[in-house]
Amino acid sequence: MRGSPLLRALLAFIIVALLGIPLWQLTRPEAVLATPTSPVPKAEIAKAIHLHLTFTTVPKKVVVSNLDKVVWDIAAPEADMEHDVTMAYPTEGVDVQFHIEWPEDGPLSAMRVQLTDPAGDRHDKSVWGKGADDEVVTFP
Amino acid sequence: MKLPLLSFIVFFAAAVVGQAADKIRVSTFSTILTEIAQQVGGDRVAVTGHVKPGIDPHEFEPKPEDLKIVGDAQLILLSAKHMESYVGKLKQATGTKGDLVEVGDGFASLKMKSEREPDKVIEDPHWWQSVLYTEKAVKIVRDELIKVSPADKATFTENAAKYLAKLDALEKWVKLELAKLPRDKRKLVTSHDAFQYFARDNGFTIHAIEGVSSEDQPSSKKVGDIVAAIKSEGVKAIFPENIENPKVMTEITRETGVKIAPPLYADGLGDTPEASTYEAMYKHNVTTIVDALK
Repeated sequence: MRGSPLLRALLAFIIVALLGIPLWQLTRPEAVLATPTSPVPKAEIAKAIHLHLTFTTVPKKVVVSNLDKVVWDIAAPEADMEHDVTMAYPTEGVDVQFHIEWPEDGPLSAMRVQLTDPAGDRHDKSVWGKGADDEVVTFP
Repeated sequence: MKLPLLSFIVFFAAAVVGQAADKIRVSTFSTILTEIAQQVGGDRVAVTGHVKPGIDPHEFEPKPEDLKIVGDAQLILLSAKHMESYVGKLKQATGTKGDLVEVGDGFASLKMKSEREPDKVIEDPHWWQSVLYTEKAVKIVRDELIKVSPADKATFTENAAKYLAKLDALEKWVKLELAKLPRDKRKLVTSHDAFQYFARDNGFTIHAIEGVSSEDQPSSKKVGDIVAAIKSEGVKAIFPENIENPKVMTEITRETGVKIAPPLYADGLGDTPEASTYEAMYKHNVTTIVDALK
């Protein structure tokens, strides 16, 4: 073998490095191609819900909300009221929030809520309160 | 002039020491029970919380100095439901004459399959994740304190009533806050299975990476199942805990693209202001869950 030992060493190194490429390709861990799939939650479609409210004492004001949105604002309530509202009604159920302002110094009073769901099933719940009150009622 | 001043100091010191000695000595093994004992007992109790805020109660083991204090306590409060695996040792080692109360045994348990032994059914010890159960615990502690010191019945009853009113207000706040979150989005992926009582009370489904104890390790099948559930149910976030290693969570987020929410407090109070009281801890958890899943 002729030539400079340094040159020979460099040549040997290059050959080993070149041989290493296919070896590395064969043995490297499989690259995980993370394709983060942004989960797309199933959007529940808003449906017509029938609400029927009855009170033992007529309140001064009632506000009905669902998911932080007012669905029925009753400035002058009556003892017996019905209304159709629109809200999503998943199989897991719904939370309906009631802000009720009962008459000042009035007795402990009750509100009966009858909710007819999109399938036509009627659900019945009651809440009791005094003064200004916020209640969450879960259906079914 | 010096003599009256000295007499006053001696008298004052004696009064302070006497008052401290007069207090009911309570030992607790849960940060939640420490708060309950302090709230109900007020000035009449000297509470030693052996499990400090931010410490994992699943891994806690009492030290000799703990046993010494327990041996001298008049009332010892435990979470129960198998949280304190050392309870037998505690009784033996201390020979305590105090009243040892396993508070969690006072109400029904949620049961689940053991992560380590799948044929075995175990109790979920994290009862404080239900405000209603915490209220029951307050009543148990009140009654136990009255047994130890009947003369203080009025004080304990009044203190408990005030604390229960706070918990009632908290429960109402929780309902109003969670009403912002649709019920079909109430899927909670947590690092260990500590939120079943919370889930039962508030209509959540839990997918826990680890078992009921933070010492349980998840199998790759379980991680795979959780990844599948996250994808199929459209879960938006997963929740680490204040005393957990979120390594597996990072792996799950890489596969699913869901975000990691701020940590939840599962095993008791934390050593940070956001979870320094039961009310603060619970509000932090609920707000974090609603913000991440909404």
